[in-house]
Amino acid sequence: MSETPTADLLVILRHGPHGTSWLREGLDAALVAAAFGREVSLLFMGEGVTALLPGQGPGALGQKGSSATLEMLEMYDIRTLLVEEQALADFGLQVDDMRLTVIPLSTTGVADALKDHRLILTF
Amino acid sequence: MLLHIVNRSPATSQVYRQALEGMGQDDRLLLIEDGVQGALPQLVRYYDGLQGRLFALKEDLASRGLLGRCDGEVQVVDVDGFVALTEEAERTVSWY
Amino acid sequence: MRYALLLMGAPYSHQASHSALRFAQAVVARGHRLEAVFFYHDGVQNAARLAAPPQDEPHLVDAWVSLHREHDVALQVCIAAALRRGLMDRREAERHGKSGHSLAAPFELTGLGQLVDLGLRCDRLVTFGP
Repeated sequence: MSETPTADLLVILRHGPHGTSWLREGLDAALVAAAFGREVSLLFMGEGVTALLPGQGPGALGQKGSSATLEMLEMYDIRTLLVEEQALADFGLQVDDMRLTVIPLSTTGVADALKDHRLILTF
Repeated sequence: MLLHIVNRSPATSQVYRQALEGMGQDDRLLLIEDGVQGALPQLVRYYDGLQGRLFALKEDLASRGLLGRCDGEVQVVDVDGFVALTEEAERTVSWY
Repeated sequence: MRYALLLMGAPYSHQASHSALRFAQAVVARGHRLEAVFFYHDGVQNAARLAAPPQDEPHLVDAWVSLHREHDVALQVCIAAALRRGLMDRREAERHGKSGHSLAAPFELTGLGQLVDLGLRCDRLVTFGP
């Protein structure tokens, strides 16, 4: 019944940029974990898929989005970017619309991803 | 087996869908805070297919006047039982 | 078992703080070791030294402090999330040229690395969100 997880940390991002600080604070946790040498995957669920749209800019008063942070993922060796297929469909988006290379996950794929990580943080 | 924890009502929030999507076949679901509304017979249908794996927190039901109104499919546990559920699960995932 | 909690809800706005405290007490009552509570996102407000709730309401900041005193539970606050929200200890207040500090002792400012470390080191990490 228990399968041993193979990766350290799964950060689930369920919010888009600008509206709240969830995306930024979730990404911060992922970057710090990666900087400490942990193997980190990101899972974009629900509204979180909009974080991966190209063409984002600053918000009111020059509010920084999370665009620059997303560009840094590769530098931090965070390469496993998972995306909930259902969320793409809900927002009328395709994998090709995403600005980074992502792996689309079916419903069972999401459950498997959770099983495969020693620690799960939801944002 | 993972324990998923939901604190939002399925009547007002889509969070329950994310929790269901994250659930494996043996995983359990615990409803806390406003999430316990999902234990009502009219709302428990959102959790179809979780028979035997669906729990609701007694203290949060009681404080909302919902303790006697749960669907029979839902297992009511107190906070001590909440800790026991986290002991039995390998990990917990919170959906809020 | 070794437990850690992650609290991301602000006190008095959401039930999360009450839920986390109640759970913390139950964890200890069942004989587990609760190593730390990590405060992130709006959860950092739980460390507000100047919180003054009405007397007939539970004083959450004091309740966390009691948990620390009675069961040696570390109260770790994410420094980046705290500073943005105006929560700082004496040292940070001096560094930023502020006239007073706002973080209650024994809450301690720390980095997100601590959260990851706790999550991977403890047997269970339970998150309480807003």
